[in-house]
Amino acid sequence: MIDIVLTREDANSESAFLAEWLVEDGETVRKGRPVCLVETSKASIEIEAPADGTIVQLVRAETEVELGSTIAVIAANEAEAAEAVARRSGGAGAQPDGPANVTKRAAELAAEHGIDLSAIEKSGFVTAADVEALIRAQETGELQLDPLLAGLSRDNVTLPSRFGVDDEEGALDEGFLAELRADPDAFGARSSEEKIAAYREAGARIGDGVQLGRDTVVIAPRIVLDDGARIEDGGRVDCAEVFAMGALSRFGHSLQLSCRRAWIGSGLWAGARIVIGGGGHGDPWATLAIGDDAFLGDEVFLNVARPVLLGAETFTTMRAMLVTHNVGHSVLEGFENRFAGIVVEDRGQVGLGAVVYAGCRIGREGILASNSYLVSDVPAGMLAVGVPAKVAGPASRPLPRQRQAAVARRLLHELHELLALRGSEVEALPQGDGFSVAGAGRVLFVEALSAPDVTAGDGETVVLTLGLAGAPPDGCVVLDLLERRVHGGPSGILADSVREFCRKRGIRFAPGSWRYGGGLV
Amino acid sequence: MSSQRCVQVLNGALHDIFEQREDVYLLGEDLLDPYGGAFKVSAGLSTRWPDRVLPTPVAEAGMFGIAAGFALRGYRPIVEIMFGDFITLGYDQIVNGISKFREMFDEQATVPLVVRTPMGGRRGYGPTHSQSLEKLLMGVPGIVVVAPSECHDIAGMLSAAVDDDRPVFFIENKLMYGRPHRPPADGRVGDFAVRTGDGPWPALTFSGNGFSGGEATIVTYGGMLPIALEAATRLILEEEIFTELVVLGRLLPLDLEAVLESVGRTGALVTAEEGTLTAGIGAEIAARVQEAAWDDLRRPVRRVAAADGIVPSAPTLEDEALPSVADVMTAVSGVLVG
Repeated sequence: MIDIVLTREDANSESAFLAEWLVEDGETVRKGRPVCLVETSKASIEIEAPADGTIVQLVRAETEVELGSTIAVIAANEAEAAEAVARRSGGAGAQPDGPANVTKRAAELAAEHGIDLSAIEKSGFVTAADVEALIRAQETGELQLDPLLAGLSRDNVTLPSRFGVDDEEGALDEGFLAELRADPDAFGARSSEEKIAAYREAGARIGDGVQLGRDTVVIAPRIVLDDGARIEDGGRVDCAEVFAMGALSRFGHSLQLSCRRAWIGSGLWAGARIVIGGGGHGDPWATLAIGDDAFLGDEVFLNVARPVLLGAETFTTMRAMLVTHNVGHSVLEGFENRFAGIVVEDRGQVGLGAVVYAGCRIGREGILASNSYLVSDVPAGMLAVGVPAKVAGPASRPLPRQRQAAVARRLLHELHELLALRGSEVEALPQGDGFSVAGAGRVLFVEALSAPDVTAGDGETVVLTLGLAGAPPDGCVVLDLLERRVHGGPSGILADSVREFCRKRGIRFAPGSWRYGGGLV
Repeated sequence: MSSQRCVQVLNGALHDIFEQREDVYLLGEDLLDPYGGAFKVSAGLSTRWPDRVLPTPVAEAGMFGIAAGFALRGYRPIVEIMFGDFITLGYDQIVNGISKFREMFDEQATVPLVVRTPMGGRRGYGPTHSQSLEKLLMGVPGIVVVAPSECHDIAGMLSAAVDDDRPVFFIENKLMYGRPHRPPADGRVGDFAVRTGDGPWPALTFSGNGFSGGEATIVTYGGMLPIALEAATRLILEEEIFTELVVLGRLLPLDLEAVLESVGRTGALVTAEEGTLTAGIGAEIAARVQEAAWDDLRRPVRRVAAADGIVPSAPTLEDEALPSVADVMTAVSGVLVG
């Protein structure tokens, strides 16, 4: 590829006027053919093609061009031409972002209040006064009676299926509820079986295998606890409207949960001493919703004066704090006093000890780093770090297939080590990637798997793969690491152990209603 | 918005004038095609009207003298002085002849000539090809000095200069030639509202906030428009300080009606010119505004101009010598309240 660069033609000019193209864009030209007419203050000059090839024009006719800039390229083949066209679309011709007529103060104010500047219809400059007028208009606008979401967008947030369902499911007998409220400690002291029987009798919808720990009490006009839901010892749930918890979800001991309504999906793993509620937990907007397969670390604090929406597969790790309002001096004296909901979109993460301030949103697969303090939004897929948190770069990077295979083999190696250290008799297979576990079976890695590659042997055969073509081999459990899905079966202690090992490395498999019941790891 | 550059507008205007008036002649150096004048303003004229485009030797005093003779005989000569710096070579013709004949001969003779010439620096042409010498013409009673900016009706201004019975000096700016012509459309230029004054060479008044709440007036002309406008824009975007910008179309006779109106609203004035400071156009404007509008002014008038010295060739030194956007912004800050 050869650039056509505008060179100095006389001593007078720093720029020249590209008056006219003498050839079509994309035309094939021979070396020496005049391709365009350039005017300086002193002369009009024809520029000749420096080589044979296809011309790709980078600058439009009738524009002022700085000396030294490239106005076109001569491409030798189609690939070069495509590259040159890409240069044109991404190059100097691109318009800068954002309107140029917004003052700095207006832009800052708009960012602070989340105002969309395109809503201001005005010719000429947009000032802070214009933004303030819009804020006033919005503040004194129509009443928005939306207690459930308080205007938050659910985009990219997969909420539990029961969210917002306003039916009578699990409605408690009013007399029973009054007794519960009068002396919760006495009720809490009863055994899990007794408590569950009493809830069922009073109308709560309680699935199989639900467990409520010692001194744990759930108080709400409507209670739904799906199969396998568990709240460990010393838990106290007090919701003014509804408390619903999906299958196999679990809270650790000493839970304190108070808000108007809480919908929790299936597969939640929540640690100990979690506090949900705080100031404003009785407000009309006190909504908590947690999507399927979410994680809450020990001692997480969620202030639910306004809605807190945590999407599916979100991680809110140990000692993170999400606060939907603050306290302080008078707003009329210019101190900030904010009430606003918080959203973590699906697969978003909040790091250890991080604080998320009212009104912030973490985009899908965005990450807030540990100990950061978030006062604005984290865009989808980005990592924000610091106090206050600023975007530092992408939260993940795409891995080429080759690298994925290498990572999978390393996981297999780690699992081998772990099982050996845990006391299993593990031996590498004579050929291929994998090992056998005495008395349990074999674990293999086959990068691209189809049924004939593997046959079941003694015990379980667990196959990790980056892609399964067709049906799984008979009698094998296939864990597709990229699709994140379990195929075949039946699963035994070895398959469950491998699955748990993967889960701790962020690889959670569908179907998701699964809980590790203990095993080899 | 017109997509033409100012040089094309001027060139088109000359072609129109030559077509409409047979008494128009063009005199100057290197005018013939294909060269068409140093800045291409005269391109194409010699091909279409070979008898009426008269190339001259490099002898400005003679050019002024010949043009004065043409004009006294009833023709409408246009003189192109290649660089404004060289009007000084014709200064005797201007001061003791061209400007005085009409009064000396009791209105029985007129000298309807037009002198077109580029002024201004910022191209590295050095001390003798970069000056802005309008102020030398300001002290000559009996002539008219006109200076279009890129937002003026340049063609109309040139045509009116040719039609006028007085000697008209038509000051063009070298950087303006290459800039896009952008006259007001529906009373606006970009984000600014623009009011156009009366007459063939009107003042333009720019406001970014509807002609109310401006904190100072900036008055300028010609090639300083983009610099003053950028200063006004940056003051708005960075500080939310609104100013009004008055861009004069005619410097002599000096008519400050638009300036006085604007100062009545804003209470402060900054003048901006590319010529040197001492005895400059800003000095004359300041004196007149202080006489006429003392009660409106909160602060003394501030002047922005080139340093009293040469215009160096080296770009960095030239930038330092000539008035900049930052200079205008600083001067405005100096006339604000508090």
